[in-house]
Amino acid sequence: MAGAGLSAEEVMPLHAQIDGLMTKDWAAAKITPAALSTDAEFFRRLNLDLNGVIPTPTETREFLDGQQADRRPRAIDALLSRPEYALHMARVFDVILAERRLPAVKSYDVAGTAWRGYLAESFAANKPWDVIVREILASDGSDESQAAAVKFYIARDAEPHQLTRDVARVFLGTDLQCAQCHDDPRFDDYKQADYFGIYAFVSRLSFFRDNKLNRSFVGEKAVGDVTFTSVFAANQGKTDPRLPGGKMIADPIMEKGKEYVMAPSATARGVPVYSRRKQLAAQMPRAETPGFSRNLGNRLWALMFGRGLVHPLDLHHAKNPPSHPAVLAAIEQWLVLHHYDIKGCLREIALTRCYQMSGELPGGAEPPVDAFAVAAMRALTPEQMRWSLLQATGRIEANFLRTLEQLKKTKPAEVEAKLKDWSWRKDGYELLEKQSSAVIAAFSPLPGTDDSKVDPVVDHTLFLLNSPKIMELVKASPGTPFDRWAAMSDPVALAEDVYLSIFNRRPIAEETEEIARLMTSAKTPKARAEALQPLVWGLLLSAEFRFNH
Amino acid sequence: MRHSTIASITRREAIARTLGLAGAAAMAPSALATSPHRKQLLVLFLSGGASQLETWDPKPGTKFGGPFRAINTSLDGVRIGELLPRTAKIMHRLAVVRSVNSNLPDHEKGHYAIQAGRLAPGYPVLGSAVAKLLEQPGDILPGYITLRRDGPKAYTDTGDAGFLGAKYEGVRVINGLPPDNLIVPAGINAAALQTRDAARRAADERFLRTHARSPINGYGTTFDQASALMQRREIFDLKAESPKDVERYGRHDFGQNCMLARRLLEAGVPCVRVVHFDWDAHQDNFYWHQMRCAEFDRTFVTLLDDLEQRGMLEHTLVVVTGEMGRTPQINNFGGRDHWGRAWSMAMAGCGIKQGVVHGMTNDLGTEVKEDEVGIGDLFHTYLTALGIDSSADYHLNGQTNPVADPAAGPIKAVLA
Repeated sequence: MAGAGLSAEEVMPLHAQIDGLMTKDWAAAKITPAALSTDAEFFRRLNLDLNGVIPTPTETREFLDGQQADRRPRAIDALLSRPEYALHMARVFDVILAERRLPAVKSYDVAGTAWRGYLAESFAANKPWDVIVREILASDGSDESQAAAVKFYIARDAEPHQLTRDVARVFLGTDLQCAQCHDDPRFDDYKQADYFGIYAFVSRLSFFRDNKLNRSFVGEKAVGDVTFTSVFAANQGKTDPRLPGGKMIADPIMEKGKEYVMAPSATARGVPVYSRRKQLAAQMPRAETPGFSRNLGNRLWALMFGRGLVHPLDLHHAKNPPSHPAVLAAIEQWLVLHHYDIKGCLREIALTRCYQMSGELPGGAEPPVDAFAVAAMRALTPEQMRWSLLQATGRIEANFLRTLEQLKKTKPAEVEAKLKDWSWRKDGYELLEKQSSAVIAAFSPLPGTDDSKVDPVVDHTLFLLNSPKIMELVKASPGTPFDRWAAMSDPVALAEDVYLSIFNRRPIAEETEEIARLMTSAKTPKARAEALQPLVWGLLLSAEFRFNH
Repeated sequence: MRHSTIASITRREAIARTLGLAGAAAMAPSALATSPHRKQLLVLFLSGGASQLETWDPKPGTKFGGPFRAINTSLDGVRIGELLPRTAKIMHRLAVVRSVNSNLPDHEKGHYAIQAGRLAPGYPVLGSAVAKLLEQPGDILPGYITLRRDGPKAYTDTGDAGFLGAKYEGVRVINGLPPDNLIVPAGINAAALQTRDAARRAADERFLRTHARSPINGYGTTFDQASALMQRREIFDLKAESPKDVERYGRHDFGQNCMLARRLLEAGVPCVRVVHFDWDAHQDNFYWHQMRCAEFDRTFVTLLDDLEQRGMLEHTLVVVTGEMGRTPQINNFGGRDHWGRAWSMAMAGCGIKQGVVHGMTNDLGTEVKEDEVGIGDLFHTYLTALGIDSSADYHLNGQTNPVADPAAGPIKAVLA
């Protein structure tokens, strides 16, 4: 370990380490990296990655007109400390952890608001990843403070094989599915014994619905052994719970008749005295578990770059090594030294020159995507699309303006605190969520698909072109930016405001001219709003809006 | 070779044909058949895994044979399961492989690997790959459309275009309903739509000057596809078919989807897949196969007859496969379980030798005895039958990937 014997602060900062390593890799591959991004490019990307939404025109203006040399690090810190960071991370980790899965009976699901509320609270407090994972794996739905964390199990109907596969995929970055039936012929490192070692932790679990409480729980039996047979060879195995690379954990010997705190029955979930699930919660989220730290590092990288250093994110094995092994190792080591500080790690990645690179191609040719030598061109995720459509059409600001004005009237002393309170912001977003559920429905991939694999398809485009829901957003209705735009008779000022609202940058000359042409015969506010509407819609359909770049 | 004339079709002709300016659906079938035609692909996917023993490779009277008999077919000395009486009469037009060893007794991985022709993740599935490899200038309709009923386990859609990107992703038609949002919303006039589309194009053109990146071109294509689908939405309308034809194909989702598949192929969609669900008979295998085979048998033969009569079969490769077979062993619930070691599939049409049975399993059906075929071999075979060089590479995004697994090769015995 390069940092052995040194305190975390004495080692070169992670962002400098990453930039040094990437520069070396590019030189070796004879790749010229892209130039540094413009402020506008950087600011839009940063807002999408750290807050899940494009910035408002006011925020963009303020950043672009800022003169401080350290405006980029300041912007990073500002976005990381906003309530929107916690809310965005809750949405992102909802998708990572639950993968848009629902239990077989949809109404038995954990309430989305409770689950994302749990996650938002965790990210607002910057809870370390191992603590989050421990809480998620330990929750059976009963402990009030972490009851919603049971969602990981419930979304998979507490089905042991699905859980085994997803525990390995989501938390360790390895897909052991083929190893269920035999040692995976693709990869030497996926062993059937590893699969069943994890399976043994969860094989005694089952879904339990308490109809009186109207809540879903995970039940567990105190007995049940795991044996497996390869379909290829006559190998047989019997296993106690064991993490890949770890030791078997034998059950303690229990006195007969005293195995349960609560015995399983038709009306009660089983609660054993000795729980293998709790063993999993205790043993897995540790630096000693191979893959645990690396998987987090890889997933955080993918959040910022749209692609993992190991890609696909759940296929880490000897024949699919990281594209930049030393970079991943440095991130992994940093995470261990800094107790899985997610916010701190994202901050370091955002500070790298690699993250702050331009999306403009260096010298024309497109470098391989896994070289990270030019800013990634990645489609907005369904969630980023939802919030960015609402932001560009002024719906988010309008919504908070309304509630804020109400608050100013009724409780003026609380305004300052409320603005920083993620749960107050969350309530405000919930209304908007209800109004925009069609966007999520139209853009979401199948359950189990991670967002780094979501490309635009024709169905999305048809939605943006023809859905009545889009019509509602692009209509020049009162309380939207069209009010502001209709009042602007100067086409230069108008073009600037429109472009700052939708593309988060100032227009170039020909873009201003395009708007001026469109406005030549529109002399009244009403005529201006009408003339502008199709242009705004056209910009929302464009690639510059559709992608994070 | 008549298909060699494809290259000489002008771009304008190709567009005219794809767009069907006079309405291709309204054109007499014979008119379509007389012009030289591009090659097309139809995959009939038996999702869940059909039992080879109840279909292509019966072992009546043996330990694992089950209760059904084998019947004679139009091919001398070849017998198939009695649940496929109509198919038996057209065996001389098919090529059947009885020696598939995929080694993947798993739905999700099987769906991917059988369709992608390999285990390695991230590759395009057959429909997406062929859409790319048979692409012609002037193509506007989506290259690949996939039809299924809505189902809780939609793992048939696994994978899709992989690294080929959005343009080659299968457009999903579920429950026979055309994609959503095919109609311009009410309350907006044509001039405004024109301004909107011109503004988008101008913005994309400006953005591309500095960001000439492949995902943007892929996104641009979705607009061409959207406009083609909007203009041609009548191709999804089965009401244009006569009640007699609806009856011939069968009033069930597979029958209706096969009829729709024929319409889409006629309209010029290069690759179509129809999914037939519920072959996963872990319980009551024999009852389930009676029901599944009854649907499949009638519809399949109707479809092949129609394709042949319309002159489409000679340029359309038809592939019949699932993601796996079913165990010879019959479990305690009268079911057969997941099985990848010795099972069967069938092909017909373009590039396929007629009346061939390739490979053989042992007497009990537990192992392949002769001419073992792997998933990579099947993939090479499909491409070769369609006139595609299966040893070629994709060169995309700075990466080179073989179109088919280089460790495998086409099955010469089934190729015409």
